[in-house]
Amino acid sequence: VRVLGRPEAALASFVVDGVHAHDVATILDRSGVAVRSGHHCAQPLHEFFGVPASVRASLGLYSNADDISALVAGLHRTREVFA
Amino acid sequence: MSDALRDLYQQVIVKASRDTSRRGTLAQPTHTATVDNPMCGDVVMVQLAVDGPTIRDARYQAQGCALSLASASLLVERIVGSYLSDLRTLDEVFREVLAGVPGDPIPEELGDLAAFAGVREFRSRRACATLPFDAVLSALRTLG
Repeated sequence: VRVLGRPEAALASFVVDGVHAHDVATILDRSGVAVRSGHHCAQPLHEFFGVPASVRASLGLYSNADDISALVAGLHRTREVFA
Repeated sequence: MSDALRDLYQQVIVKASRDTSRRGTLAQPTHTATVDNPMCGDVVMVQLAVDGPTIRDARYQAQGCALSLASASLLVERIVGSYLSDLRTLDEVFREVLAGVPGDPIPEELGDLAAFAGVREFRSRRACATLPFDAVLSALRTLG
C-alpha cells in the first residue's frame, strides 16, 4: 500500500500495488468500508503521481478503532484476492 | 470472503486480467478503435483483422481494473477465428446476462465469459465488463 502525498487531514489517498483502485474499493465495500475510488476529479494530480486512479479513505467524528481495523482487514483481503 | 466477492473475482478473471498473450498490436489491422470510460479512467484499444465474414486475428491494449482487463483478454481470445455474426450474438447474450440478477441461468455459449456472471451483484462494475465489447463493436463500425 502506498499513500499518496502527505496526509494532513483525517483522510488518505492510496494505491495498492498491482491492484486497480476500483477493485480495491469493491473489496473494501464488501468489508463494510465505504471509500471513494477513481480520479476524484483530479486527473492531472494522478498523472503527477504516475497512477491511473487511487482509493481515498476518510474519517468522520463517528469513526472508531473498529472502522480502522475493518479497513486494514479489507486491504489484507484485497491482497488475498489478487495474490 | 463473501460469496459475492468470490464470484466476482474468480480465478479465471484474476488470471485472465494478467494474461498478456493477446495484448499488443497487429501489423495490418483492418479495424481499430479505442474507447474509454471517463468516469473511471479505463481505456481499451482493440485491433481486428477481418477477413470476409471472419475475424482472422485480434489484439488489444488496455488500462483499467481487473474486470475490464479480464474481459478484454477473454473476449479477444474468444473472437479470434469466429464469425462476425457470432460476435454480435455473443455481445447480446453477454449484456443480457449482466443485466440479469444472481441466480438467472447462464447460457453455455458464453464459455469462459460466464465468469462475469458475478458482476450481476455489482451494478456499478457492469461497465467495466462491457467496455471491451464496446471497443470491438466500435472498431467494426470503422471503415475497413
